[in-house]
Amino acid sequence: MTLEDRRDEEPDVYQPAEDSHLLAEAACDRLEGTEVVLEVGTGSGYVAEQIADETGARVVASDLNPHAVRQARTEGVEAVRADLVSPFRDGSFDAVAFNPPYLPTDPENEWDDWMEHALSGGEDGRAVIDPFLAHVGRVLAPDGVVYLLVSSLTGVDEVVEEAGEHGFSAVAVADEPFPFETLTVLELLR
Amino acid sequence: MKESLLDILCCPLDKHDLELADAEYDGEEVVGGDLVCTECGEAYPIEDGIPNLLPPDMREETPA
Repeated sequence: MTLEDRRDEEPDVYQPAEDSHLLAEAACDRLEGTEVVLEVGTGSGYVAEQIADETGARVVASDLNPHAVRQARTEGVEAVRADLVSPFRDGSFDAVAFNPPYLPTDPENEWDDWMEHALSGGEDGRAVIDPFLAHVGRVLAPDGVVYLLVSSLTGVDEVVEEAGEHGFSAVAVADEPFPFETLTVLELLR
Repeated sequence: MKESLLDILCCPLDKHDLELADAEYDGEEVVGGDLVCTECGEAYPIEDGIPNLLPPDMREETPA
């Protein structure tokens, strides 16, 4: 099935794109396969599936969107409908991966459907990233790591600074330039 | 969902343990029933094998 076919089939679910590939690759390169991993905002389930297949880690995926969790489950991913990390126990995960909605969006132009939720990060692009950074530490094991995809459109420095506020140090572990943005995968450690 | 998922899930409101109620199985998979908070009693439905652990005020199907 081509990407275009998949987009037609599930118009309410964000389908794998360049950002998904970059995040999956960065996480797969760094995980050993013995971890318990959470993918937040899994969409189609692509990143979770890649991590599970490539590393053998146990992967759980969450999304707010009911269409997304259904598609992810169809792909064989263990899926939970959730708001970020709220229904997961303290210290449960060795790694958390997140390709967040990160596009800065003019509130006048929000189109209020599931695809907008998958893309829009509010006015500054960080409306979902900031609460994620505030809460992800709770569900991480003591040596746990976060792989967070950010775009130059979102402001990588601002995200690094916000992560620092919550006790994380950030390292860029993958970069890929595109015509209108550069995508970066940040590795966050405490 | 697999029953072992209960080891990493908690109530999204008060973070207490959840227990499985009225479970329906398809082989090893739990495909229906509820996850009930042992503290506040809130019930979270399992729909087509997927637990819906959104807080009650976010549970609607339509985008916010």
